[in-house]
Amino acid sequence: MSVKHEEQFEPTPYVVAIITYIGYVMLAVFGHMRDFLRNHGFEKNLIATEPARTKDFVPLYQNFESFYTRNLYRRIRDCWNRPIRTCPGAEFELIDRKSPDHGWSFEYPGTHTRAINFGSYNYLGFAETDGPCADAAAAATETFGCGVGSPRAEAGNLDLHTRLEATVAEFVGAEDAIIFPMGFATNALNMPALIGKGCCVLSDELNHSSLVLGARLTGAKIKVFRHNDIADVEAKLRDAIVYGQDRTRRPFKKILIVVEGVYSMEGSVTRLPELIALKKKYKAYLYLDEAHSIGAMGPHGRGVVDYFGCDPRDVDVLMGTFTKSFGGAGGYIAGSQHLVALLRQRSHSGLYGASLPAPVAAQVVTAFQMLMGRAGPPGEGARRLKQLEVNTQYFRASLHRLGVIVYGHRTSPVVPVMIFMPGKIAAFGRETLKRGLGTVVVGYPATPIIESRARFCLSAAHSLDIIDRSVQIIDEVTSLLLMKYSRRPPPAWTAGITREWAEAQLKLVDQQRRPHGAANGGPVPRRPVECRGDPPDKVADENDAAVKDNLAAVAAAS
Amino acid sequence: TAHSDPNPNHVYFNSRGIWATYVIFIFITHFIVLSIPFISMALAWTLTCQIHNVITYFWLHWEKGAPFEPLDQGESRTLTHWEQLDDGVQFTANKKFLLVVPIVIFLLTTFYTRYDQIHFLVNALSLVLLAIVPKLPQLYRVRIFGINKW
Repeated sequence: MSVKHEEQFEPTPYVVAIITYIGYVMLAVFGHMRDFLRNHGFEKNLIATEPARTKDFVPLYQNFESFYTRNLYRRIRDCWNRPIRTCPGAEFELIDRKSPDHGWSFEYPGTHTRAINFGSYNYLGFAETDGPCADAAAAATETFGCGVGSPRAEAGNLDLHTRLEATVAEFVGAEDAIIFPMGFATNALNMPALIGKGCCVLSDELNHSSLVLGARLTGAKIKVFRHNDIADVEAKLRDAIVYGQDRTRRPFKKILIVVEGVYSMEGSVTRLPELIALKKKYKAYLYLDEAHSIGAMGPHGRGVVDYFGCDPRDVDVLMGTFTKSFGGAGGYIAGSQHLVALLRQRSHSGLYGASLPAPVAAQVVTAFQMLMGRAGPPGEGARRLKQLEVNTQYFRASLHRLGVIVYGHRTSPVVPVMIFMPGKIAAFGRETLKRGLGTVVVGYPATPIIESRARFCLSAAHSLDIIDRSVQIIDEVTSLLLMKYSRRPPPAWTAGITREWAEAQLKLVDQQRRPHGAANGGPVPRRPVECRGDPPDKVADENDAAVKDNLAAVAAAS
Repeated sequence: TAHSDPNPNHVYFNSRGIWATYVIFIFITHFIVLSIPFISMALAWTLTCQIHNVITYFWLHWEKGAPFEPLDQGESRTLTHWEQLDDGVQFTANKKFLLVVPIVIFLLTTFYTRYDQIHFLVNALSLVLLAIVPKLPQLYRVRIFGINKW
């Protein structure tokens, strides 16, 4: 099925949009009124104000810029920046906070809440405190220490980095790769090394701010095309080639099309095959940011290139990060030998920033090795990939059946559920936490004004029981908050996706691994991948259910 | 923000249903004014016209910058909302709509006030000075006598 049939973005219902605007206007009116009361002494003023001695100077704070923070965000800020006290795996423990003065300050009663974690980018479940990755990280710390203390060009190039680069290049299918300690900086500081003034950047509407910043830092001409609209890309490409630069009409030196593999706010997937065809036809270059798709999409986890079956050598710059699927930090750029050699000499991040710390590099290398089947328990990489795929489709199908509006592509592990109204943003965040579900809610201005949403990030660490429980909680909360706005029937592909389908799919992977287990003298117990920082009595429930499942599956199959 | 546009103020007026919401707010104001028992029809319409022009003047042509911190590194801090709409491009659909609405209200008001001289004068002055002149493209980024510059 083509990409278009498997993704949907149901537009906001008209009446809902009008009510949302009315909500924001009311908040603005009350905000202005309360600001007036605060500034003229009728109400206690808790905002940062200038000290008396500088009152006659040019004002330091512009009051209007913090209007939104003061009057909207502050009142519901207990939904964000929640402190976590365990490893953010499938579940985590949050430190409780109470605000006695409506969000100005917090008190900590000392209690904790255990919740299911749908906020971490933990696609393959590598956020764990034990296992081969953690052991490798500990060993690397004992060999190399924690920090590196130098940029790569000086004394900070560990053999671990070289090994990681070779692993990344092999995994992604490129000739060579270079790694950086920070994912954001990988985009922002390397685009200026590749293109400059006199070039043209064609950037998708919904590109991440690191790509936007990188494009602006290059000094090139930026043209923004509508999200995933190939006709628009082609039209702007033709314009760029025919008309050239702005006033001189000279031809552009290079034209770079910048897209992401999976867009994290929408859950949509880029149209890679059409873009590759376009770039070949018009001789442009393609920069693919696979931050959210590497490790999470494709039958072998190699990203959107793998998902569409394209040739990785067709994409000129393959960029990705280690933060999301590999439980580490940092980013990489992979491509031809020439490209990587140039970046080693010209990249600001590579030459002046300190290099990736050894434990993180070891964690990431081991994660890649596990995915390629060369480390960890046999078949673990394939199991994680399959678990993520099954979790994603099962979760999405269940949500579609509930009647909420879900954005995005069928296989994208980022699942936005639409909330729309500003009051419901906070209500959803708080009600789900009360019931034991930790979600990330996003509103204006990070999203369009009528498209505020809750974003769920699926993980291979989540078991099917966790997903069932979460869907039940979401059902309760969305019924309570009247969030079931969808007027369309669930899409056609959700027809066969049930719990039985999910368990059958997972059994397939287990069966493929069983020969190893049988050879070792017994089935390999399939633990849900979870953090060891949990108190033992809480973990026992999950483990028992999963182990029982597995033993039942083994008994049924044998 | 998740969009390439560093300031959401540029694009939010293109969203679904926002024109309708603007008209609905005008209706609500008008009904509130009409429900006050001791004012005549003419005064009610003039009041609606005046309240609309004053509020939209403050909203579009007086307050500068954005109520949140945009990613444009302060470029929009000295721009009024009208100058930020559609990133400063003139003659867009939004700008034409926002120009036409006060004119329509004025025409309705002159009708309902039966072309009384004083009402006409007051409404016409507020229309021209508060609603039309600031929206002209010739006055883009112009601050008369330096008022409201920073």
